[in-house]
Amino acid sequence: MTRADVKSFLSEEETEITNQYLKKGFYQGPSKNMSSLSWIRSTFLEIIKQELNITTDIDTESIFDLIHQTVSVVELNQFRLKVIQRINENPDFRKHYYQIAKPYLDILVGNELAMQVKVNLSIQLPNDDSSLLPTHADTWSGDSPFELVLWVPLVNCYKTKSMYILPPNENDKLDINFKEMAGDHSEDLYESIKNKVTWIEIDYGNILIFNNSLPHGNRVNKESETRWSMNCRFKSIFTPYWDKKLGSFFEPITLRAASINGMNYKLPKLT
Amino acid sequence: MGESCHQSTQNLVLRDYCVRMNYKYLLSGTEYSISNSYLMLKQIVNEIPKVKGIVCYSVFQMPENFEIRIKLINKILEKNGELHFALENIIIAHKSDIDKVENIWLVTKTMKDCIVSIYQD
Repeated sequence: MTRADVKSFLSEEETEITNQYLKKGFYQGPSKNMSSLSWIRSTFLEIIKQELNITTDIDTESIFDLIHQTVSVVELNQFRLKVIQRINENPDFRKHYYQIAKPYLDILVGNELAMQVKVNLSIQLPNDDSSLLPTHADTWSGDSPFELVLWVPLVNCYKTKSMYILPPNENDKLDINFKEMAGDHSEDLYESIKNKVTWIEIDYGNILIFNNSLPHGNRVNKESETRWSMNCRFKSIFTPYWDKKLGSFFEPITLRAASINGMNYKLPKLT
Repeated sequence: MGESCHQSTQNLVLRDYCVRMNYKYLLSGTEYSISNSYLMLKQIVNEIPKVKGIVCYSVFQMPENFEIRIKLINKILEKNGELHFALENIIIAHKSDIDKVENIWLVTKTMKDCIVSIYQD
């Protein structure tokens, strides 16, 4: 089946979303569950206040965007790890994360899903070159191409405060000329694709779902605000796993009755 | 189910898990390499409640046979013990925790009958 040529029983809306994802390498749309997204942002806010000993009321928008006024580059990773560890410990967190984009995931992956065990958090302070994610595709480091990434911003993301992705048609050219274009290190690779990548412009309240086998990454945030975004991988349960295994990296979250019966089925015996 | 790595690496993972969970790490038990042997595991199960629980390297080191596996888990729970899996960060402390592990087991077992690789030219 060729890209953007899905002929099936999908509805018009499902076909539109599917074709956009296949053609652009990502789909961007409004969250389908704003109360879950608000729950996540409020929970983050409480954790941040506790970690930074803030007792007064604060403006939600500015605490995220302007966290660099409180947390230094040196303190950042420790702070980030603490925050993400604490929110991952909340048993409701991943349920809400899934709910944010459930209808899109149903369309693009299916409704019998495996979800990454831990959601990741990126905090990118202005002018911080210590939190850079060089150009990479997740499949180059052990992720299965049957996965996709649900990327959720907690702030409005634009220009270098956001991330970039290489569209599928450009990735095809990269695949053919990979040796020449990749050069000696990842910066060479970025240089060779930097005029081809799509920079994502996305506001809080929206979600991004992208193909993790396409090269993506970020650059030094040259804007005046900090980027906060979460990312988590989803895949259909019964598709190939590469290095990121079921149990340690993924867990089934929506096993369906027919599969449960099937997995437990044994033919009757005559003897 | 064949999830294994060198014993010294397993010990590192177990030690790190116990430090993170604030548990006292006792000398690790090593299962005999005889196929389908769970003699050492059963021996350690018998030590509960003298020890609070057992930390295994991975879920997939448990017996492949469902009846044997469930019997062992139930025995640990009946003795008020806990079963931990360091690699997966999963704890079975109550009967309600069993399903999560069993689902991982069943899916992994079923994956042998599913597509497991992608077409290469």
